Amino acid sequence: MKAVYALYDDPNAALRAVNGLRAAGIADRDIAVMTADPIEGHALMAREAHTWMPWVAACGAVVGLVLAVGMLLWGELAWRLDTGGMPVVAWWPNLIIMFELTMLSAILTTVGTLFVTAGIPSRREKLYDAEIADGKILVGVKDPPDTSIASLQQALLAGGGRVKRV
Amino acid sequence: MSAAPVETAAATRQINDDLLRPLLNTSWRFWALVAVLGGGVLMGFCAWLYQLYHGIGVWGIAWPVFWAFGITNFVFWIGISHAGTLISAILRLVDAGWRRPVTRCAEAITAFALMIGAVFPIIHLGRPWLAFWLFPYPSERGIWPNFRSPLAWDFFAINTYLTGSLLFLFLPMIPDFALVRDKTTGWRRRVYGVLSLGWEGTPRQWHRLESAMGIMAVAIIPVAVSVHTIVSFDFSMSPTPMWHSTMFGPYFVAGAIFSGIAALIIAMAALRKFLHLEAYLQPIHFENLGKLLLTMSLLWGYFVFAERLTTWYGNDVAEITVLNVTQRGSFAPLYWTMVVCNLVVPFTILSIGRLRTITGCVIASFGVVVGMWLERFLIIVPSLGHKFLPYSFGEYRPTPVEIMLLVATFCAMMLLYVLFAKLVPIISIWELKAGGYHAIEAARLPETPLANVNL
Amino acid sequence: MPHKWGLAVDLDACTGCGACVTACHAENNIPTVGPDQAARGRAMHWIRIERYWEGEFPDVRLRFRPVMCQQCDNAPCEPVCPTYASHHTEEGLNAQVYNRCIGTRYCANACPYNVRFFEFFNPVWEKPLHLQLNPDVSVREVGVMEKCTFCVQRINAGKIQAKAEARELADGDIKPACAQSCPSKALVFGDASDPDSAVSKLRRSSRGAGLLEDLGTRPNVTYFPRHTEA
Repeated sequence: MKAVYALYDDPNAALRAVNGLRAAGIADRDIAVMTADPIEGHALMAREAHTWMPWVAACGAVVGLVLAVGMLLWGELAWRLDTGGMPVVAWWPNLIIMFELTMLSAILTTVGTLFVTAGIPSRREKLYDAEIADGKILVGVKDPPDTSIASLQQALLAGGGRVKRV
Repeated sequence: MSAAPVETAAATRQINDDLLRPLLNTSWRFWALVAVLGGGVLMGFCAWLYQLYHGIGVWGIAWPVFWAFGITNFVFWIGISHAGTLISAILRLVDAGWRRPVTRCAEAITAFALMIGAVFPIIHLGRPWLAFWLFPYPSERGIWPNFRSPLAWDFFAINTYLTGSLLFLFLPMIPDFALVRDKTTGWRRRVYGVLSLGWEGTPRQWHRLESAMGIMAVAIIPVAVSVHTIVSFDFSMSPTPMWHSTMFGPYFVAGAIFSGIAALIIAMAALRKFLHLEAYLQPIHFENLGKLLLTMSLLWGYFVFAERLTTWYGNDVAEITVLNVTQRGSFAPLYWTMVVCNLVVPFTILSIGRLRTITGCVIASFGVVVGMWLERFLIIVPSLGHKFLPYSFGEYRPTPVEIMLLVATFCAMMLLYVLFAKLVPIISIWELKAGGYHAIEAARLPETPLANVNL
Repeated sequence: MPHKWGLAVDLDACTGCGACVTACHAENNIPTVGPDQAARGRAMHWIRIERYWEGEFPDVRLRFRPVMCQQCDNAPCEPVCPTYASHHTEEGLNAQVYNRCIGTRYCANACPYNVRFFEFFNPVWEKPLHLQLNPDVSVREVGVMEKCTFCVQRINAGKIQAKAEARELADGDIKPACAQSCPSKALVFGDASDPDSAVSKLRRSSRGAGLLEDLGTRPNVTYFPRHTEA
């Protein structure tokens, strides 16, 4: 892997560097930004905020509900045993199990969606620097075209960071 | 975000050092504690093997009191589990700033208390080796669990809650695992590297993580409420005197949150003292949780009064028998101890501002833990011992096996908690940082309570 | 039309002799647990004679009430069982499938009559009791709930016998051990779906009442309260 990146102490400086890279013609999806905390509300983090996750979770919930109803009907009709004079398909108790499986499915779908959309777990070789853990903010470009490295370094330096090359 | 970069970096380092210290430095006291607690758990395990070999007759249960310590422990520990995830989810949803140092130690209580509680429906079975018949699976006979049974509801509710709580605990740990990975070497780097799932900290990952936590918080609150409601249904679905009550659901949920907050206060005080987290778990947290405990104490008292008044006024012969045997009869000493522990002590300590210190909150919390265990016991045993036909009234005395199992549950809880605090940063580092560097710096000054800082 | 089994108990006739309890133990392979365990409440009398003293000394009266599973139509024990070990048969019995029982003991807690019993230990029969086990009744192992079955093995044997003889089952063909051994004929068993059976006639009497009927369990055992003051 080949990359050029810089580490910043301050999110504003990192944002300047990101803007510099954009000006140098790098597309947003190629600009890597990594932080040790979500820096809520900062413009640096503004991209890729939109997600369909709540709707995916809702779909998961519906799937769970349908599966629950299916399982309940299958289980209850397989042996039509009478207990306490209750109907074989007893909807009051069924509602409880339908609720639990709906929620379980919503939760599992949410976590699944998180894993898929956040790209975890992953073991591929990555642009990363352990100094992020100390609060540094990484801005960089992975696999840049050789011809543009100098201009990218320039843009990163303009933000005020320490440039590193891998 | 207005803090100067130099201060920010210093604060970050300070947080990293303070919160990673327990993971990296281990004294002999830790091993001594683990040995003692592990011994307690081992004792419980041996008691269980003894029970398995001889039959559940080694417990004190007998006709007609077929449930006692085992189910008391089950309800008690499931109740304790209601502090963590529920409170953390509510505080996340309302975005209460003071939650940040509290959420993880609370969620860990939920996970461990649920695991311990969920053991009891299995080990209290007459034939625990057949416990898998509670699982809904298409067996070769085509016979499924009876979905009309509250125990089948328990299975689904506890599974959903346990799965949800473990994920709710695990997801925000991922960035912290990444941090430990970056700050350590050797085996820790490898192990935490795997646990961190390759976390990088890109804006996309942060946004997805926070979205997921938001959805989980919304989903887990009704699940938590449903779990203890369903536990209460184990009792209220039977026509047994003083069990067959429509208010058991909310009554149990309130009691569960009550005991859970008490457990959380005790755990936080221990963490603060032994891991030297004075700068993070501050008096304001205990103050806030103490007020919540006071509220729940009053709510609990209100429920008990409503239950007792309705029963007394109705004067049904079977119910009034159970009422009298708890208020004035053989269970009266336990009953009034419960009232003192759950109402008198917490109310006295927590309603007086000067006494609502860390020590005061911890004393009140110990009272509540004892009182709530007694409450569960007093719901179960007197009713079973005094059902309708006086000829069939019965007594209950616990045996050493049951007492050992009870002690082992507390040892197991502490052991799991101690190991967890040793292996995982017990305060969510990234959430603390996300709360604002400036706020944490300011909060270090003793005269500036964290809650007054605009997070 | 399926049978519907019922029992009538005449409390005037019951002398409290306990023959039914002994017969039930012998018929149904119910283990005896010894005096220590019995004192702790582990005795398993599927039928028991409840003994109540009434009145103030010296004007006291002794009352007996045999209590066994009431085979409720609306049985609280049945739906709470997570494994269907406890369920309702087509002939109106509260069946207990020992092999399916995992021992939650929930059914016993839900039963308002306390007529369900639990095998706290593996049962043992002291010699020579081990030689008199009834081959028609399964021996239960540790951790299993059990209860009065209305001697379902005798019900089935009676039906098979009637079928072999190519005739209808007659009233009185089937007698559970308790009814058979009752010297004062206080227990009357029969098919409540047959309007001419002895038990049906007794059930129609306005004197009869179910035990704890107000709980809504719809029991199939009918009690006739005493009207003699002896």
